[in-house]
Amino acid sequence: MSDKVSEKRAKKPNAAASLGPNAEIGRKLKQYYESLIAEEVPDRFAQLLSRLDSAEAKLEKD
Amino acid sequence: MPQPESFRTDLLAAIPSLRAFGVSLAQNADRADDLVQETLVKAWDKQDSFEQGTNLKAWLFTILRNEFYSQMRKRGREVQDSDGIITQKMAVHPGQLGVLDLADFKAALATLPADQREAIILIGASGFSYEEAAEICNCAVGTIKSRVSRARTRLQQILSVSGEADFGPDAISAQVIASTAA
Repeated sequence: MSDKVSEKRAKKPNAAASLGPNAEIGRKLKQYYESLIAEEVPDRFAQLLSRLDSAEAKLEKD
Repeated sequence: MPQPESFRTDLLAAIPSLRAFGVSLAQNADRADDLVQETLVKAWDKQDSFEQGTNLKAWLFTILRNEFYSQMRKRGREVQDSDGIITQKMAVHPGQLGVLDLADFKAALATLPADQREAIILIGASGFSYEEAAEICNCAVGTIKSRVSRARTRLQQILSVSGEADFGPDAISAQVIASTAA
């Protein structure tokens, strides 16, 4: 079992591990970022992409 | 050239990450949404220049970051917090390991110079490698490493979170204690 744990640690990318010495900062950083990712995405972005897409389709037709 | 349908789907899927990065940079949700919108339009126009099979998220982050700095320049704003001025103004919380409040953390993050904040976000939260982060920020890998390290040190100081070798009072609280005693 302890082998499994060390294997997991070894697989950790270097970059993230650099925040390891202060795990609390690293954890908060992820918590902060994940709270942003979890926010609802405004509809305007999907609408924007639809407009761009149909504008292009129209151009290709013309 | 990417398939239009899948390109659009991939862009849609990347929006939550783009917004998170935008908020981290701009420290403001409305400005972040404007950045995301600009990024999507630019990405759409430049989709022919995206090399399929490469990292779309990194490509989009690069566009958003360039947009952010070009807006900052247009507004004539100072991008960098000249070292420590805002940090010093901020109240120092006698935080203890494990009881850091997320709001305190956000406030501390906001005091970092933009270059340090983006570096620690890209490495510590967005899951990019140093090489990818260096490419996104158009700088050397060593520069990213030193920015991350300075950002971490600064956050530790502001939040009074002790590093592994430092269990005593940090420099700022030591000063406070000294002046109170005097």
